[in-house]
Formats: sequence, C-alpha cells, structure tokens
Amino acid sequence: MTDAARPPIADAVRQRLARRHRAEGRFQAFGIGAIALALLFLAVLLGSIVLQAGGAFTNYTLTLPVTLERESADPRGDMSEESLRRGSYNGLIQQSLQNEFPVASSRTELRELFGLYSGLNAASVMRRVVAEPALVGTTIEVTLPVNHEIDLYLKGVTVEEVFVDGSGTLRPSGVEGEVTLVAATPAFAGAIDRIRDQAIAERDATLDRAARLESQAQSAASRDAREAALAAAARARQAAERFETIIDPETPVELGPRTASLLVRINGGVVAVSSLDPDASTAQGRVLLTLENADPSDAWTEWVIETPSANRRITDQQAVYARALESRGMVERRFNTNLFFNADSREPELAGVLGAFIGSVLTMLVTMLLAVPIGVGTAIYLEEFAPKNRLTGFIEVNINNLAAVPSIVFGLLGLAVFINTFGLPRSAPLVGGMVLALMTLPTVIISARAALRAVPPSIREAALGVGASRTQAVFQHVLPLAMPGILTGSIIGLAQALGETAPLLMIGMVAFVADAPSLGLSGLTQPSTVMPVQVFLWSGASERAFEMRTAAAILVLLSLMILFNAAAIVLRRRFERRW
Amino acid sequence: MQLSLFTALALLVLTAIGFLAGRSRALALAGNGGTRLHSLPNYHGYFVALWAGLPGFALLAAYAMFASMAVNSLVLGQMERAAAPLQAQYESELRDDPAYTGAMDEIARLEIAISELRDEADAVIESDGVQSDAVAELRERQAALQFEIDDARFTRDTRAEAVAAEMLEDLRAADDLALARAGFEYGRLPSEQREVYMADARALAFGVELASRDTPELRALADTLRPIHQGLAWGGSLAALGIALAGLAFARTRLAVRFRARNRVEWIISAALALASLIAILTTLGIIFSLLFESLRFFASIDWRVADFLFGTQWSPQTAIRPGQIGQSGSFGAVPLFAGTALITLIAMMVAAPVGLFAAVYLSEYADSRVRSWAKPLLEILAGVPTVVYGFFALLTVGPLLRDFALFLGYEDAVTQSALSAGLVMGVMIIPFVSSLSDDVINAVPQSLRDGAYAMGATKSETICHVVFPAALPGIVGALLLAVSRAVGETMIVVMAAGQAANLTANPLESVTTITVQIVTLLTGDQEFDSPKTLSAFALGLVLFVLTLILNIIALRVVQSYREKYD
Repeated sequence: MTDAARPPIADAVRQRLARRHRAEGRFQAFGIGAIALALLFLAVLLGSIVLQAGGAFTNYTLTLPVTLERESADPRGDMSEESLRRGSYNGLIQQSLQNEFPVASSRTELRELFGLYSGLNAASVMRRVVAEPALVGTTIEVTLPVNHEIDLYLKGVTVEEVFVDGSGTLRPSGVEGEVTLVAATPAFAGAIDRIRDQAIAERDATLDRAARLESQAQSAASRDAREAALAAAARARQAAERFETIIDPETPVELGPRTASLLVRINGGVVAVSSLDPDASTAQGRVLLTLENADPSDAWTEWVIETPSANRRITDQQAVYARALESRGMVERRFNTNLFFNADSREPELAGVLGAFIGSVLTMLVTMLLAVPIGVGTAIYLEEFAPKNRLTGFIEVNINNLAAVPSIVFGLLGLAVFINTFGLPRSAPLVGGMVLALMTLPTVIISARAALRAVPPSIREAALGVGASRTQAVFQHVLPLAMPGILTGSIIGLAQALGETAPLLMIGMVAFVADAPSLGLSGLTQPSTVMPVQVFLWSGASERAFEMRTAAAILVLLSLMILFNAAAIVLRRRFERRW
Repeated sequence: MQLSLFTALALLVLTAIGFLAGRSRALALAGNGGTRLHSLPNYHGYFVALWAGLPGFALLAAYAMFASMAVNSLVLGQMERAAAPLQAQYESELRDDPAYTGAMDEIARLEIAISELRDEADAVIESDGVQSDAVAELRERQAALQFEIDDARFTRDTRAEAVAAEMLEDLRAADDLALARAGFEYGRLPSEQREVYMADARALAFGVELASRDTPELRALADTLRPIHQGLAWGGSLAALGIALAGLAFARTRLAVRFRARNRVEWIISAALALASLIAILTTLGIIFSLLFESLRFFASIDWRVADFLFGTQWSPQTAIRPGQIGQSGSFGAVPLFAGTALITLIAMMVAAPVGLFAAVYLSEYADSRVRSWAKPLLEILAGVPTVVYGFFALLTVGPLLRDFALFLGYEDAVTQSALSAGLVMGVMIIPFVSSLSDDVINAVPQSLRDGAYAMGATKSETICHVVFPAALPGIVGALLLAVSRAVGETMIVVMAAGQAANLTANPLESVTTITVQIVTLLTGDQEFDSPKTLSAFALGLVLFVLTLILNIIALRVVQSYREKYD
C-alpha cells in the first residue's frame, strides 16, 4: 500500500545517510586538520629558528699582521708577566690597521677605522703574549672577529646595496680630498632616478604618517595626547619638505643622511658623492679611499647603498674600509668559533655559549645527584615498603600536586629558603641544581613507581619464597629489573630541568657572567648562568646581531635535549621487557 | 675547604675499613664452616661500615653548614668587644658636636612637618579626590620639604663621617687598636657592604682569592679570623674522625654469631627510604610556609589592606619605592594581573582545547597504529621544547607577524608584545598536554559502549559525539582544567611576549601583564629584600600557588571519580 510512499522514504533515508556520511567525513577531516595544524606549528617553530640561526654559525674575521713592539707590549721592560699584562695591545692592533689605510688621520676617520673591531679583542692578544713571551718583538698574525654591525653589513642583513657598472668615461679631478667627477655623457642618470624614486616613496610615506597622526589627534582622548600627536605630525610634514629639493628635477641632487649613499669606485679608490648636477654628468664628492691616479677611466662602478645612513649603524667610510679589506683578503667569512668557545660578552661578535654550557652541566650534575637517589628512594618506599595508611596516602596526593605546581613557585621557594634562610650564594649552580631537583623530583618518583609496578609480583614472590628478606627481594631482584624504566624516567625529568628557565631567574642566575665557571667543585658556588637563561638574556639584548646568536643558542640547547631524549629512547628500546 | 675534603676522604676510607673489619670478624666468628651466623658476613660488614661512616659524615655535614656562621659570630663578637670603647667615644663626640646635633634637630622638625602635611593631604584627597589642584600643590610642598630633609640628612651623615674619619685617622697614626678600628669601621658600614668586608678579611687571611682592598684594619681582622677558623676546622675534622673510629670500634664489639646484623642494616635502609619520601612533604611545606610567611610580611607592610591587593585595579609597584608619597599609596592592586592572566589563558585554551581534543579523538578513534606511532611522538616534541624557545618564537616571529597583520587590517595601535601572540604560542605549547591527557581518557571508555552504538547503526562520528564524548566528559574536563593550571603558571612565554604594562583590558591586541611576569619583574635585578615591592612577589606567588592547587585538586578529583566509574 505504501508503494508510492516508499521511494520518498528511501530517498530521505538515502539523503540522510549521505548527509551523515558527509558529517563523518567532515569530522575526520577536523581530526586530521588538528594534527596537521599542530605539526605545522612545530615545523614553523623549528624552521624559523633554524632560519634565524643560519647566519650565526659563520662570521667575518679580520686577519692582521701585528708587530708586537717591545715598548708597547712590555711597558716596564722587565718581561715579567705583570708587565706583559699591562701592555697596550689594542694600540698595536690599531697601529697595524692604520698601516693598511695610511691616509686615515683625522679623529673621525680613525674612530671609524677602529670601529671595525672591538677593543676587547686585545685581551686575546695579551693572553697569547703572556703564554709565550718570546713573541714580543716579532710580528704575529692576529685574527679577530669584525664588529657585529660590520659583520651584519657584510652578510647583507642590515644594509641594502647595489653595484652598477658605470657607462662612459669618467674623469676624477684629483686623488684625495674633495673631488669632482666629470663625464661626457649623463652617466649618473640611473643613479639620480634611483635616488629620486626612493625620495618620492620616502616623502609619501612620511606624509601618510603625518596624515595618520592628524587623524589620531582628532580622536585623541586627552589634550596632552592630541598636542603630542599634532606636534609629531608637524615634524613629519617638515621632514617630508626636505625631500622636495631632491625630487625637484631642476636643482642639483644633494645626498644626505636621509637619502641613499652613492659611492663611485674608480681607479682603485672610492669617492662618496655628495651632490649631483641635474644634467647627470657631473658629481661633487669626497674621496673615501685614495685613488691610484686621476686618469679618466671607463671601468668604474656605481655603488649605491640604498639604506640611508641615518637608518644604519655603519658609515659609508666603514663600508668602504670593510669592502677594501675584504678585497685584500684580510676580511674573510669563517666558522664562528667564538660562539662555542667563549663565555658571554657585551659584544655580540665575541659572545658565546660556553659559560652557559658549563653552568648547565654543573647545575644538571647537582640536580641529578639529588633528584635521582631521593626520587628512586621515595618510589621504592611508597611502592614496596610503605604501609597503606593516612601518611603515605597524604604523601602520594602531595607528590601528584607537586608535579603540577608552576615551576616559578619552586624558584620562590629557592629564593626564600636556600638563599635568604640558609645563606647560600645567589646565582650559583649549587642552588640552581637544588631548586631544579625539587622540581624534577615528582617526575622521577612517578616514573620510577610506574617502572617498579611493572615488575610482576611473581618475581618478588619467588625471591621471598626462597627465603630472601623484603629488602633483599627489592634490591636484588625487583630494582635491577625496573632499572631501565627508572633511568628512562629520570633522563626525561632531567631533560625537562635542562630547559627550565623561570625558577632560575628567581635565584639570580640571570647575571651577566663574562667568565665561564670552572668545571669543578669550586664552580658550584661561582656565579653562572645556564643555557635557557642565556637564550633569555640574549633575546632581550638590543643589538641586532644577538638575534641570530639567540637562535643559534636555542639550536645548541635543543640538540642537547634531543641527545637526552634519544638516550632515553635507546635505553627503553634496548632494555624494555614485556611480561 | 681542603681540610674538610681530606676529612671526607679519610671518612670514606674508614667506612671501607669498617666494612672489611666487620666482614672478616664475622668470618672469623663463623670459623671454618662450623657455627652458622644469623646474617651473611657482608651484612656484618655493612653494619660496621654504617656505624663508622654515618656519624662521622653527619658531623662533617653539620660542620660544613654551621662552621662559617660560627666563625663569623665569634669574630664579630671579638671585634665588637674591642670596638666598644671606640663606639662610645664616637657617640660622645657626636653628642658634643654642634653641627651634628643641629642637623638632628632639623630632621626631627621636618619629619613632623611632613607627617602633618600628609595628614592634611589625606583629608584633601578624601574630600576633593587625587586629581585635584590642591593635592598637586601639597605634593609640591612635600617635595620641597623632602628636599630639605634630604639636605639635613646629608649634613648629618657627612658630619658623622668626618668625626669618624678624624678618630680613625688619629688612631691609625698611632697604629693602635687595629682590631677595634676594624670593628668600628664594620659597624658603620651599611649591611650590604659588611659581607664584602668580611670576604676581604677572609681573602687576606687565607690568600686563596684576591682581596679588593688591603688595609691595616682588614689585616688585623684577618689575624683574628685565621686562628679561630683553623681551630674550628681542625676541631671539626678531628671530632669527625674520632667519632668514626669510636663507632667502628663499638660496632665491631657488637658482632656475634647470633647478632642480627641484617635486620639492623635493613632497618637503616628502610629508614633512609622513608626519609627520602618525606622530602616531598618537606618541599610542599617549604613552599607553603615560605610563601605564607613572606606574604604576611608584605601584607603587614601595606597595613593589611588585603582587599586592596586582591580587588584593586591599579598595579604600579615601582612608584611605591619612596614611602609616603602623597596619592601614591595603594598601588598594589593585582586585578590587572589577574585579568591579564585570564585573558592569555583564555586565548591559549581557545587554541589548545579544540586542536588538542580533535587530535586526541582522531588518534584514538580513527588513526591506525602506524599513524599513531609517528604522530604521537611528534606531538610530544611540542611539549618537550623549552618554554624560553616558545618565548623567543612569540617575540620575534609571531608578535611582529600579528602586529603587521593588525596594521594591515587598519588597527593603528598594534604592538609586538600582545596578549594575542603570547596566548597563541602558549596554546600551541599546551596542545600535546590536552591531547595526551584526553587520549588516555578516551581510551579508557569501555569498548562495549562503542559497540552498542555501532550496533544501533551509528556512524563513527555519531558514536564519538553522542556516546564516547559524554562518557569521557568528566575526564576531558579534568584534562582541560589541568591544562588551564599549566597555562596560568607558565612564565617564560609571557615574560618575553606579553609585555610589562599592567593594562586592564580585554583587547587581545594590547600588551597585558600576568602574575608570573610581575613575579619575575619584581625579583630580577638588584633589589633589597625587605621592600614591599619585592615582598609583593611572594604574595603573587601565593595567589598563583593557591589558584593552581585548587585547579589541580578539582581536576584530579574529577579524573579519579571518572576512572572509578569504568574500572
């Protein structure tokens, strides 16, 4: 009777079924999407860090022949260690660098020249001489990392620059000082266009900003805020004015701190152009690197540093010095050994992770020696000996809660108890290790208990059956079988402690430590820092060069943690036993 | 140091000797397989070794803990006694010094004036509010008075300094009473420099480190310090060795054929294990008492206005450095911190809860074992990455990205350090936490429930949504609560990526601050330990601890009761 009605119902069922299956598919897609999203995050996280770290593993070094003149290296003239330590090695390095650019004589030029490296490098020369006094009076080859700003420039990170081969013949009016470059053709037309385009873009951006500030002033909450916004807008408009003269095609193009720099490489020297005639055939400028001769030349290069000098940390002169030294083979890109064999430093090019690494080793040693025995002992007691009463129940609840206490609270505990009550030294690996041990303890206990529980009772019963005491059964039979599991759990707990930062900030392990602590008993109470804290410290540093070093330090830290976890996995694979 | 290291080695040797002595004694007692010992010879050895080692090491540990304190108090006592006449002379000279007494009177007068002014200001604030012109005028007057009082204090201190220097100069010229001079100098030092003074004396006495200064006074102090220190060191070492020897001898006499050496040794072992398990309780007690004690000190220092702390909306601990600035009190209102913490936690959970739950459902219900075997460990990696790395990622990658995106959308005030970037990254961090906990919970749902649903013709997703999920709900709620407690206590990400400004806002693009950020800010860098600013960190720590504790207890309860239902 329902022959007519049946198809609609079957249809409805079929439609419903299709809908339900679509819902099923959607649901499954959400699941896959969630996992894909999480893994994407992981990939982006690790990828971005690897990308950022890339530049830190190499750096540009400056190799100089330094003559260790007797009167500078040995001021007292008795060759004693004390006298050698007081030698002015930085002066010697400066002398050697000046020999490379004999023309540099004005105070500004010398400051720019000596700014190519950090004076702290003199200490390494001093150490070399103290170790081998016979070097005094000879010429040695000194390799030092160049200043971090120069390094970033040479790596092409901070400064945009292009080299364009010049066309036509160019005649310099002299080899030194203020010179005029004259070409028969409008040789500088390309450069002028480039600079004008940049100026126009810059002016428009500044005007935009001014307009935005003005609209903000309209909606500002207080009178002060409105006035501040208006003043900023007026300043921006004034700044935009300055670009007009450059943009105007009738007037000469004056190059200044807010425009790109135009350098001309000709006859083995470099001229910094300060003004270009509108007809693009004549340029006024100053010689930055002495020309070999004043002959007209076809082979010249326009060197445009597009980042305005107001927006970069190195001067045109320094760029010229750096490039000149590079072409003479004295500045080279090498593997950055400082990153691995130096302790922290204020100068990024000299800063390394060695101090933090040693601090981490010492801290982990203390943590391991405290957390593993105490944790395993607790686990054995609770699992094998403890009577089931209120007290042991309380201990169990306690341990579960401790496992979830935020790590920073352990830092507060360490500060209040270990440092303020017991008077232990601040910033010391000893205290750091103790705090981390307390923090790791619950992890170790929980995993050790799981490992003990996994040993089947038949083992215990067999041991007890042949007359062993409880202690003997536990220590001679159960514990050896549970050992792989216990070790795996302990290593994972230690790996967690290795990456922990917050509690160590509380007990003062954020100090700037320029000397690596000694790798021994005395190092335990010396101020030091650890790898993750070093990452934190560097990430807050203002120098751009620290950014990539932070990422590199993170990679070192992550590889340490991978090592730990790999050890745990190997242990588990090797000794895991299923009952 | 050298001596105690040597003593420790000697004690170790004694312990080993004890073991061998006990063992050989037991073997001798047993004869050639004649009589049967109660315990194995090794246990006799352990017994003697424990008697030799434990008391000796205990004494050495006690020495290591208390020796420097004892030396200091002895030396300080001697120094004070020697300096007492000098101190008396100094005080009488000050009393007779007109410039000094004049300055003191001036200070007293100004202090009264300031406290009057403050009362007046309180009254004005009460009636006109803090922003009024009258308060501004009063503030200016207070600043002027403060300036005067600082001036007077400076006069007083320089005068006192001059008198002291004169006295010391005379004595130094006569090269007299060097130790008394040391005590006098020490007494005049501010407390933070006293430790340096003692450290210098110690350095001069033992010549191990370099002293930062070298004066006759320090030399005299070093000369006093050296014999006391050495006496104590030798006494401690000899006592430790003596006690070890006595223990060894005593334990050896106890050995006999029927002696229950094994039971004794096992008793000590189980006692040691029980002691180890007490450490966990001690840690909790240590946390509770240290937080509570310092928090009480903090509340005392803000006159017990606990409600202001918990419900105040103004957080600016820095301005309260100068006590009694008009209109600047009551800046410890922690509500902005709670709000910031809540905002970031909310954002984090909005990321972690759906992603983590879906991942868990997929892994436990859909994925075959091959996918599980690589996807699970990969997810766990997210949990293993140190939080400081997430912080760096949030600060340098996510923060700028979000800011540029907000600017692109036309939101002008976007900043790099925002609640959103910190929350997002934190959410990523707790994804594996949510997923692995919920995975366990979902796996614990009995298969019979699923089979029942399939038998009714439900699809897999319908089974999950209508059967598995409701059955697992309590456990999932517990897991989410644990994740929340994790997010609330997380420190490094927010320290690096959320900013410092105590804004009370619900806008995720602004920078906010959290409880943990403020604890770190307050306790890093140079601080004196007694200021309310520093102590407030402990009060915040207490709030954090209580908050996470409550969350954990509820979560564990929920998870447990859920487990019981299906076990």
